[in-house]
Amino acid sequence: MTGRHARTRQQMAITERELTAMTGELDMLHKETFPSVAKSLDEFTANLSHLRTSRHTARRSFLAGVGGAVVVGTIAACSSSSATGSGGTNYTGDLKVVALAAALENLAVTAYAGALTMAGQGKLGKVPPSIAAFVKTAMGQHKDHSAAWNGVLKQAKLKPITGAPLTITAGEVAKLHKAKSVADVAKLALSLENAAASTYTFATENVSSAGGIMTAATIQPVETMHAAILSFVLGEYPVPTAFIGTGAAVHPAALTV
Amino acid sequence: MHFSIDDRHFRGLMTESDDLQSDAMRAATADLGAYVDAATESRYEERRELRYGGALLGAGALGLGALAFANPAMAASSKNVMALQTAASIENLAVLAYQTALTLPYIGGSSANEVVKAFCTKTMAQHKEHGKAFNAAAKKLGGKVQTKPNPKYTPIVTAAVPKIKGPLDVVGLAITLEDVAAQTYVNNVGLVSTPDLRALFASVAGVESQHKAILLAVHALLKGGAPQLIALPPKAAKLPAAAGSVGFPNAFYPTKLASPAAEGAVK
Repeated sequence: MTGRHARTRQQMAITERELTAMTGELDMLHKETFPSVAKSLDEFTANLSHLRTSRHTARRSFLAGVGGAVVVGTIAACSSSSATGSGGTNYTGDLKVVALAAALENLAVTAYAGALTMAGQGKLGKVPPSIAAFVKTAMGQHKDHSAAWNGVLKQAKLKPITGAPLTITAGEVAKLHKAKSVADVAKLALSLENAAASTYTFATENVSSAGGIMTAATIQPVETMHAAILSFVLGEYPVPTAFIGTGAAVHPAALTV
Repeated sequence: MHFSIDDRHFRGLMTESDDLQSDAMRAATADLGAYVDAATESRYEERRELRYGGALLGAGALGLGALAFANPAMAASSKNVMALQTAASIENLAVLAYQTALTLPYIGGSSANEVVKAFCTKTMAQHKEHGKAFNAAAKKLGGKVQTKPNPKYTPIVTAAVPKIKGPLDVVGLAITLEDVAAQTYVNNVGLVSTPDLRALFASVAGVESQHKAILLAVHALLKGGAPQLIALPPKAAKLPAAAGSVGFPNAFYPTKLASPAAEGAVK
């Protein structure tokens, strides 16, 4: 057997055998992890009366949205959608952050699902198997995150967030539709993942409920991991900073419901 | 062994990353001041409450009553310091582990994959920054600086080093250390008593998990016998499907392996 054949066979071996094994491992790990998250969410919902009436838990007015900032960070700067703001929102206090988180997760799901559709239509060129696997797995995890946050809203007798009612959504979807390649989609996904990670970092500081803090804390590293792999695929250094900042965070005032 | 790497592109990225790192460090240094101020303020408030509590309880009841009042506040304060010291001990161990790994020919020497070598070098530097940040916070809160590596995991790493046979073992060990660090910091977000310390732990947890994600992908490629695919930029078309998803195995980051706050506290 030539070296080239041997290498091809080895590559095929990870594609087929390891992927199957790893997919099984992923499901198992997910099942192992979810009970502890469910516990955090239970703690979160156990204190719903407090969450409903929480007026000002943020030292930096994160929830109040004062200071004229609608959205902070790079996405806000790029967004061309009109800001309807969040006046008269049904979601207040920590629950506003929960609704924001659910909307951000749904936006990520929308972006990844849209990318898969465009790939299926041949609009992105040839999609490498590793990218397809990334999109499917990351999208599944964002769905899990959204379901977790919406579970809290349901417990609070509030309407779950369907779709992505955010001031930034139209702009992000427009960017997706303009994408011509896998790299274009990866860049968009990277900015969404960074925004989500940044928002959750900010949430750990500004949410008052212990369950909410821990839920944000357990989701934030998953978004940063998505970002690292996306950066790697794009040929960028995958861990560019020693600290995850809050500069790209999406403000709760970006929520339009 | 031949590795595919666009040297000029990679050097450019490292420079870019250093610029970002400098920006992040400036922000982190400013934030660290805020973290510490808030934690100090919280400590001051706790002391003040303690004084009021003592006065209200009166001389007769001061003994047991004051202790009962004081313990939760003091415990919260000392728990913050202990959590920071334990975090610093984990960072110290990570720095030592990467330092040791970089002395191995296939990680930091002539037969090393340049991407892996650069990643280890940069990651070690980031762990040093984390250690400095945790120690600075502990010190300003009145605690001692933790200069030693973590007491639980150091003997495990020391015992593992002589058994290392190649890059796969090194990467496996690094994954464990990064995972312990990330799980500990995620858990600490729920343990510490001030918003700023929560943000500090979260901001570092996100970075350790990124280290882990990349190491998991590298591990899968090494294990699959495809080290030539570890390159930056990668040849995406040639990467096996698994490389796209193996880096993030959980939808929610676990905390089962989290080190208790007191594990690496200075005694």
